[in-house]
Amino acid sequence: MTTTTPTAGAVPGTAPAARKAPARRHPYLAALRTPRGLTGLALVALIVLGGLFAPLLSGHDPTAQSGLGLAAPGTAGHPLGTDDLGRDLLGRVLYGIRTDLGVIALAVPLGALLGCLFALLAAAHPVADTAVQRVFDLILAFPGLILALAVTAVLGPGRLPVILVIALAEIPVFGRQLRGGILVQREREYVVAARVGGTSSSRALVRHILPNAADPLVVQLALSLTVAVFLEGAMSFLGVGVRPPEPTLGSVLNQSMPYLADAPQFAAGPLLAVTVLVLGLSLVADALNREIRR
Amino acid sequence: MTTTRTSPLAGERAAGVDAELLEVRDLSVEFTGADGRPVRAVRDVSFTLRRGETLAIVGESGSGKSTTAFAAARMLPGTGRVTGGSVLLDGEDLVAADERHLRTVRGARIGMIFQDPMTSLNPVLTAGRHLDEVLRAHGYGDRAARRARAAELLGLVGIPDPERRLDDHPHRFSGGQRQRILIAMALAGEPDVLIADEPTTALDATVQDQILNLLTDLNRRTGTALVLISHNMGVVARTCARVLVMYGGSVVEDGPTDRVLTRPRHPYTAGLLAAVPRLSAPSGTRLTGIPGSPPDPARPTEGCAFAERCAFAEDGCRTARPRLVTLDDGVRAACPPAAARTEPLSGPAAPERIDRPTPGGTVLAAENIRKVYRGRGLTGRTKGFTALDGVSLTLAAGETLGIVGESGSGKSTLARVLAHAHPSDGGTLRLRGQDITRPSRTELREVRRAVQMVFQDPYASLNPRMTVGQVVAEPLISLGLGDRRAREQRVAELLRQVGLDPSAAGRHPRAFSGGQRQRIGIARALAPEPTVLICDEPVSALDVSLQAGIVNLLGDLQRDLGLALVFIAHDLAVVRQVSHRIAVMHNGRIVETGSADEVCENPRDPYTRALLAAAPEPVPVAPGVVV
Repeated sequence: MTTTTPTAGAVPGTAPAARKAPARRHPYLAALRTPRGLTGLALVALIVLGGLFAPLLSGHDPTAQSGLGLAAPGTAGHPLGTDDLGRDLLGRVLYGIRTDLGVIALAVPLGALLGCLFALLAAAHPVADTAVQRVFDLILAFPGLILALAVTAVLGPGRLPVILVIALAEIPVFGRQLRGGILVQREREYVVAARVGGTSSSRALVRHILPNAADPLVVQLALSLTVAVFLEGAMSFLGVGVRPPEPTLGSVLNQSMPYLADAPQFAAGPLLAVTVLVLGLSLVADALNREIRR
Repeated sequence: MTTTRTSPLAGERAAGVDAELLEVRDLSVEFTGADGRPVRAVRDVSFTLRRGETLAIVGESGSGKSTTAFAAARMLPGTGRVTGGSVLLDGEDLVAADERHLRTVRGARIGMIFQDPMTSLNPVLTAGRHLDEVLRAHGYGDRAARRARAAELLGLVGIPDPERRLDDHPHRFSGGQRQRILIAMALAGEPDVLIADEPTTALDATVQDQILNLLTDLNRRTGTALVLISHNMGVVARTCARVLVMYGGSVVEDGPTDRVLTRPRHPYTAGLLAAVPRLSAPSGTRLTGIPGSPPDPARPTEGCAFAERCAFAEDGCRTARPRLVTLDDGVRAACPPAAARTEPLSGPAAPERIDRPTPGGTVLAAENIRKVYRGRGLTGRTKGFTALDGVSLTLAAGETLGIVGESGSGKSTLARVLAHAHPSDGGTLRLRGQDITRPSRTELREVRRAVQMVFQDPYASLNPRMTVGQVVAEPLISLGLGDRRAREQRVAELLRQVGLDPSAAGRHPRAFSGGQRQRIGIARALAPEPTVLICDEPVSALDVSLQAGIVNLLGDLQRDLGLALVFIAHDLAVVRQVSHRIAVMHNGRIVETGSADEVCENPRDPYTRALLAAAPEPVPVAPGVVV
C-alpha cells in the first residue's frame, strides 16, 4: 500500500506549523471578546442585573403608594422620586425591567422555536414549503401593533397575549432565516457527498445542514430581542400589555406622558433603561455578525 | 495621448516601441491575515515592460502574480498595501501618487480586464451604456461621437453587427462575447498597457482560443502593451513574447517565452513545464508533478521559497534568498546553482507507463439516461432544462472511462445520476446486471457501498465543522459498517492509503491545503470499499504541480483495489493520459466514444475536433525537450 504515495510531501506532519490549527476559540466567544461585543455585553448585563436584583436595589414595593404624590428625585428614600400616585420610581423602573425581561425571554425563544419548526416542515416537501411560506406571508402582512391589537381584542390585555404576540411576530422572521439557510446548505457539495456516502436525509439535516445554517439564527436572536423590547414597550404604552398595577417600562412611560413638561425625570428612567438594553443587544448582534462573516 | 485620441484605431503610436513604459523596482506587498499577522504576498519583485510588449506573469495560486499586477496599477484589494519599492510609469512613481492622480492613470494609461466576464457587467445596462460610461469618463466627444466610437470598439473586439448589438443587455451575449465587451471597455481609454488577469480561466477551451487571438491581434494593431496573468503555460506560450515566472511571491525566472519554455533555467519553471499534461502523451502514462506543497505566505522562508521542493537544492539555497541574475541570452533566473549549470535541466522524464489492470466485465451500465431540471413553480409550469438526453455508457471493472466536455455539457449531472445523488428522469441504470434505476431501501444501500464519488471542489465538499476522522468515517457509520474501534482503524488505514498521516483524523479540514483536502475526499469515497469511483473534475480546482499527485494516486488505487473509475474533466490532455476509453459530451449527449488514443488522434465528431484544436499546447516543440 505504501506504493500509493508518490508525493510524500502531502503528509501533514511536514506542513508549516501555521497550518496546525491552534485551539481556536469558538467564534461566538471570540465575538463577545471584541470591544464591540464587550460593550454590548456590559450594557445588557447592567440592565439584566438591575432587573434581577430589583428587590435588593430598591427597598420599596413598586406598587405601594407613599402618599407623596409626584416627588422630585432625591426625596428621602426615593432616589428617582415618586410617580403621580406616590410610588417609588426607581423601584417601578427596576421591577419594570424584570417584567419586561420575563416576557421577552419567554416570547422570543418561543417564536424562534416555532419558526424553526415551520422551517423544517417547509424543508421537508415543496407543497409544505408553499403552505408554510403563505402562513409566514400572512403573519408578516400585519404590522406588529395591529397584530397586538387583534390578539388582545380576542384574549384581553395581560401577560400571556404579549408573549403570544411577540412569539407570533418572530415566527416568520426565524422561519425564513432558517429555511433560506437550509436551502443554501442543502446544495453544498459536502451534503451531496454525505448522501452519496449513504447518509440518510434526517442525519444529513442534523449533522451537516443545521449546524452550518445556525449562525445567522444566533445573530437574529440578539436582534429579535431588541425588537421584542420595543414591541412589549409599545403594547404596555398603549395599555394592551401587562395589566397595571404591575410595572413595565412601557406603562411607566405611558404614565409619565402628562407630566413630561413638569417632571421629565419621570420619563427619563424607563427611556434610559430601554435605550441601554436595545443598544447593548444591538452591539452584541453586530459583534456576532461580524465574527461569523469572517 | 492627445494625438492618439482621435487617431484611427490601427494608428501608430508616437513613442518608440523600445522605450521603457512600466518599471517595477523591488516591489513588496503585504496583506493582513485573518489572525492579524502580516502576510507577505509579493517580495522584492522587479521587472520592466516596454511599449507594445507582451509580457506574461505565470505562477500557481498564491504565487503573487495577480497581486503584483494589481499593485502596479495601485488597485490592491482589501488590506493589501505596498510596503516597499516603486512602480514607474514613464518615469513617474505611482506608489507615491495620490488617488486623484491615479484615477487619471487608470483606464487612460492602464486598462484592466478580469477573470469572470459573467459578473463584471451590470445586467441592467446595455453594452452601449457600459462603453459610453467609460468614454464619458475620459471626456470623449459628444453623445453621437461616443456612440459611434462605442460601435467601433465593439467591432474592433470582433462582435458582429456592432451598431445593433450596442442596445443589447449583457444576458444576450455569451461568456466569450462578454469578455470581448470588457476588453472593449478596457481599450476605450486607449491605454498604453492592458493588464489581463486570467482573462480566459472562466471560459471554455474553444472560446479561450478566440479571446487569446483577439488579445494578440489587438496588441499588434493598436500597439497596446499586454500584461497577461495566467496559471496556464499553454496560454502563455501562444500569446506572449516574454514571460515572468513567479513562485512564493518572488520572480524566479524572466526571459523571452521561447527560451524560457524550451530551456528553463529555474528548477521550478522546469517542474511546472513538466507537470503540464500533454495532449500528445498517450493513454496510460503517468503525470509528472512537483513533490510537496506550495509555501505558506504567512511564514516566509529564509532562503529560496522553492528549496523545500527542489531536487537541485544546495545548502546555500535554504539560508540566503537568491537574487535574479542575468544569464546568457537575456534570461534572468533567481537560482544561484543555475548560473553554474551548463547542461539544460532535464526535460520531462520519459513517460512512465501506468501499470493498469486489464478491464474485466461490465460493472455499471447506463441506457438512455434522461435528466430534466424542472422549471420553477409548484407544478413546474415554466420550461425545464434537459441536462441529459439519452446518454448510454458502460463501465468495466478496473477500467477508467474519461468523460470530457465543456461547461454545461451535462458531465457533472451525469456523474451525480450515476452515483444516485440525483434521480434520473428516464432510462435504466444497471449495477452488475441488476436494475438499480429505482432502488429499494436495501438496494440503495448496496449501491452506496459499491458506487462512490469524488467531488470537484476540495473546499466545498468537506463539512467545515467536522474533523477529518469524522468526515472519512461518515459513510461507515451511515452504512453501519464496523464498530467504533474497527472504524477508527479503517480511517487510519484509509488516510495512509491516500498519502496522509493518520494523525490528520483529529484535525479540521481547514488545516489542510487544497491537494490534501482532495485526498481526504478520496479517503471518504474509498471508505465503504466501492467497486466504482466517480470522479467529478477531481483536479480542476488544483494547481498543475499538485494535479499529478491526485491523478497518479487514483491510478495507483485503481491498480491496487481494482476500481472502475469514471474520470470527468474538461482538460482533454489529462483525460487522455488516465483513461482507457473517452466519451465526449456536448449539450447533454455523448457525441463520441472510443479508446482514449483513438478519440484524440482520429476524432470523428466535428465537436471533438474543435475541442482538440482549441486545447493549447504549452511548449513550442523544440529540440532538447522530450515531449
